[in-house]
Order: sequence, then structure tokens, then C-alpha cells
Amino acid sequence: MIDLTPGLVMMLAAFVVPFIPHHIRQIVMLGAIALSAMSLSAGEGFHWIVPVLGQHLILHHADNLTFPFGVIFHLAAALNVIYGWHERKPMEHTAGLAYAGAAIAAVHAGDLISLFIWWEATAVTSVFLILASGGERAKNAAMRYLLVQVASGVLLIAGAAFLWQETGSWWFGAMELGSVGTWCIFLAFGIKAAFPFLNGWLQDAYPEATVIGTVMLSAFTTKLAIYALARGFAGTPELIWIGAAMTAFPVFFAVIENDLRRVLSFSLNNQLGFMIVAIGIGTELAINGAVAHAFAHIIYKSLLFMSMGAVLYRVGTVKASELGGLYRCMPMTMVFCIIGAMSISAFPLFSGFVAKALIMSATGYEGLVVIYIILLAASAGVLHHSGIKIPYFTFFGHDGGHDVKEAPVNMLIAMGLASVFCIGIGVLPQLFYQILPFAIDYQPYDASHIVGQLQVLIFAMLAFVFLMRSGYYPPEIRSTVLNADWFYRRLAPMILGPVMRGVLRLAQGLDGLVIRSARTIIAGVRYLSHLPMAGPVIPGPAALVQLGVLTLLLILIYVAHG
Amino acid sequence: MKKITETSIRLKEMGAWMTLILFGLGVLLIVLEFIVHRHGETNLEDIPLFPAFYAFGSSVFVVIGGIILRKFIMRSEDYYGDD
Repeated sequence: MIDLTPGLVMMLAAFVVPFIPHHIRQIVMLGAIALSAMSLSAGEGFHWIVPVLGQHLILHHADNLTFPFGVIFHLAAALNVIYGWHERKPMEHTAGLAYAGAAIAAVHAGDLISLFIWWEATAVTSVFLILASGGERAKNAAMRYLLVQVASGVLLIAGAAFLWQETGSWWFGAMELGSVGTWCIFLAFGIKAAFPFLNGWLQDAYPEATVIGTVMLSAFTTKLAIYALARGFAGTPELIWIGAAMTAFPVFFAVIENDLRRVLSFSLNNQLGFMIVAIGIGTELAINGAVAHAFAHIIYKSLLFMSMGAVLYRVGTVKASELGGLYRCMPMTMVFCIIGAMSISAFPLFSGFVAKALIMSATGYEGLVVIYIILLAASAGVLHHSGIKIPYFTFFGHDGGHDVKEAPVNMLIAMGLASVFCIGIGVLPQLFYQILPFAIDYQPYDASHIVGQLQVLIFAMLAFVFLMRSGYYPPEIRSTVLNADWFYRRLAPMILGPVMRGVLRLAQGLDGLVIRSARTIIAGVRYLSHLPMAGPVIPGPAALVQLGVLTLLLILIYVAHG
Repeated sequence: MKKITETSIRLKEMGAWMTLILFGLGVLLIVLEFIVHRHGETNLEDIPLFPAFYAFGSSVFVVIGGIILRKFIMRSEDYYGDD
């Protein structure tokens, strides 16, 4: 019916957003999202192909993998508009709408060049969500974020060029690691998916964005990378171990991090790990698991970031060391936060449970016992840092002495809707499973599975109680927890600083030497030109007379020779 | 010393209740383990109460790991000096 690339309308609408009065603007944005979502009804196939230089840009490609991502990205964009309704500064709305549109368009790109264009568009638009925070700290984080994102884009286009040279096509389909081109593309996706040691930008930048900005950022960039990996590298065994490492390591960082939006960023990294493992396994059940987890994750992670955003908006901080006891004055935010926490922790009847079950089963069925055990430990870790730490230190713990108002009504509506989706997916898994790429017959709710999962959750909670009551739980301390960004924020300047200073000093020395030599030569020439052996020094008027006489002589000789 | 407020007393009471509920649920799950035939996707999970012990142990491990990690990677809040 409508062949326009999904997301394009949103990007175009973003241009007029700053010029529309506040409330109408929000309605226009919701309208643009709805209009864009209608393009999802076009059905599977190639809907918009543009010939360029003898090749074809496939701007609208739809299939069973793009559909669930298209649905959830539109849903997240709409929730973000509602969540940010109170914000009257248009910069975030403009950036947010264009960013979501670019991510949606990227999902529907059928070739690597189109993908690259939207890939970079997500970077350029989303950086404004960090810049909008204002201040030197946010500006620096935004610049680092942009550099990393652009580096990912450069690798993607380089990979596309190599691949084109190798195969003569820039079609974006399943690839196999082995050539320079595929490795470049794999790394480009890996940066955006926050692979181990490539993840620093995520925890660095997300907590520096605005209240609304972090919610938007959490939904699109990394999940776009998950989509890209699922399309390009499903069944790549390297991803299994990369993903397992991603589920495990951020957990330790999240336990000791004080900034709760940064805790959620570590937790986001950990959740991506589950999806990456599933993509690495690559079976139909596993890919369904990766997509289901991405879908559910976007909602519950947004919900958690929304609740922390509401706390930041009202209290002015999300540092665990300064919060506590907010259950009294922000009870609805607390309830929504707990729903998000229970979803991410995979409690039965919540979305995380029905999504993660697919991944755990896929891992078990393939006999990947070590990976299974790592994922199970990581699940207990998730419960700790997102399931318990976030709500406990914010709303309970000790009395932080804050007496604030409940979150604005638009925030509560957005959180309420997200909560409905979290529970709806958890309660009606079969309906949810229908939008997944492959048809499945899977029942997450059997007594054995429920009892096993509840054992994991309740005994992990008992471990928290035990550690708290025995005084072993590490206190929340105002601090900076070093992460992978340390390598380019500290180590690189530490090594490159002296090198650069040395090079500069050498250049200055050489520069001075050249100048001194030139001066010496000039002085020498001057000196020599004034020596008597250089001939008599001719004063100006005499030289003119001599020149005139010589010219006259030349003319006479020329005339005489005819 | 922290100020004792009505909220802090209420929080203490809530904490005590929550602990009791958790203990109750823990006991219930131990009982259920021997009523429901629990089976996992791997053989390890067939060990009685494996999920419970494993989750408790890995939670403690994560926290202890975090405490050790803190010694190496925790710096002052203005470490990067760009506040």
C-alpha cells in the first residue's frame, strides 16, 4: 500500500518540529510515527529501489526479521514522545524523532550503502540528545560518543567497499567472517553493539544525556546493531563467546557503580550479551530468542530509564549514595520501576521471562553447558544490579530525606503504558511469539521451568539480604568506575602525550635550526656582497645612468644590423 | 550518625517484612523442589536445588568480585576532571 521507507516521514517531520507550538508539536510527532508505522503494512519484499551509478539502493526491504524491529522501534518512539511531552525545548524532540526515524530506516535498508547512510544518521542525530544536557562534561561525552559512532560508520563503509570489490555486490545479507570486508563490517556492528572493550562509549555517554535523551538512546542504537548482526552474522560461533563475556563482565561493574543511570547502562550491555549469544547460536529458536529479547528489552529498559529519569527530574540526582526512601513521595514511579525490574530479572508473568527462556532453551538444546552456566550466573547478576539495586537504593534503602512531587503525569502515562506491555508480553507469550521471525511451538510456562526460575530469583534475593544484613554488601560511594573508555580517555593521552610533545619539540628544534641556518646564509651573502672583492658598490643614480647607456647601445647595435 | 525519621523506621519495618516473605518463599521453593519434577536443559540442572544454590553462590561471587574490582578501578568522582 505505502512504499515509502518506514522512518523517512519521521525524519522529514523532524525538520518542521522546531517551528510548531508545543502541544501541537507532540501531536504532529505522534502522527508522523503513526504514518511511518503504516509503511510496515506493505508486506514482505523490496518496495523502494533507487538506481545509482549502475547499482541499486534498496531503501525499503521488509521481511520477517525487519518486522518485529519495525514494530518495536515505532512503539518506543511513540512512548518517548509521551514521556517527553512536558519538555518545551524543541531540540530534544527534533533530534529524538529524527534519530528514531533513522534507526527505523536503517532496519529497512536492503543494501550496505543505504545502511551506512542511516547508520551515520543515527549517530549524528542522537548526539544532540547528549549535547542538550548542556555543560562541559556533556559536551565532551557527546564528542567522544560521536567519534566512536563515526568510527563505526567508517568501518562499515570500508567493509562495504571491500565486499563490493570481492563480490561485486553491496547487498546486505548473511555474511561469513573471513575476508577484510566482512571483518570490517563485523567490527562496525560490534562497536554499536558494545562488544567487550568496544563498550566504553555506552556507559560514558548514555548517563550524560538528558532525562528524555537517555530513554531514547537506550532503545535504538544498540538494538539496531543487534538487528544488523542477526541479519549479517547469524550462526557466527565467535559471537557466542563474545556474548557470554558481555553478559558476565558488566555485572561486576554495575554492582559498584553509584550513578544509577550508569548502572542501567552496564545492565543494558549485559542484556545485549544474551542477544549476541543467541545470534551466535543461530538456530531458528535462538534467533527468535534474540529478537524476542531485543523487543522485550527495549520496553523494560526504557521503563527503567524512564523511572530513573523521573527521579532525576524531581530530585536532581540519580546517585545511589544520595537517594533512598522515595517510595513515600513517588509511589507510582516506584511501582513502574519495580515492574521494569521484575521484567528485566525475568520473573514469571513478566516479559523478560518469556523472552529469555527462548535463549536459555536454545543454549541448552545445543549442548553449550559452559555458556548456559555463564548465562545463568549472569541472570542472577541482572537481578542484583537491575532487579534489586535500582529500586532498593532509590525507593527504599535508607531515608535520603527528599520530599519531592510524584513524576509529571505524561511520564506516568508513558511508564504505565510500558508496564502494560511488560506484563502483557509476560502473560500472553503465544501472542508475542507470533511476531517473531520463525514460527515456533514453545511453552515457557511449565511447572518445572517456573520453579527453577523462581529458585534462581528468590535465592539470589536471599543472597542480597544476607550480604546486606551481614554488612558485606559494598556501600554506595561517590566515585568514578573505570571502564573501557579509560583506554582512550586516559591511556592514549598518557602514551601519546609525551610522544606528541617529543615530536613537537623535535619539530621546533628543526624549525629553529632551519631559521638559524637561513639567517646565517643571508648574513654571509650580505657580508660577501659588501666585501671589496665583490666589486665597487654602485650608488642608485649611477646604476640608472649605466642602465640607460647600455639600453641605448643595445638599440643602436640592433638598428645597425638591420 | 544518621537522623532517625519516621520514614527510616518504616523502611526498617518493611525490610524486616520483606526478609520474612523471602524466607517463606525460599522454604516453599525447597518444598516444591521435591513435589514438582524439575528438569533443566542441561544435566547439571537435575542436581537437587541446583538453581537455588547456584544463584545464591553466583550472587555472592558477583558482589565479592565487585568489592575486589573496586580496589583496582575505583577513582575519585572528578577523576577525568571534566565536571
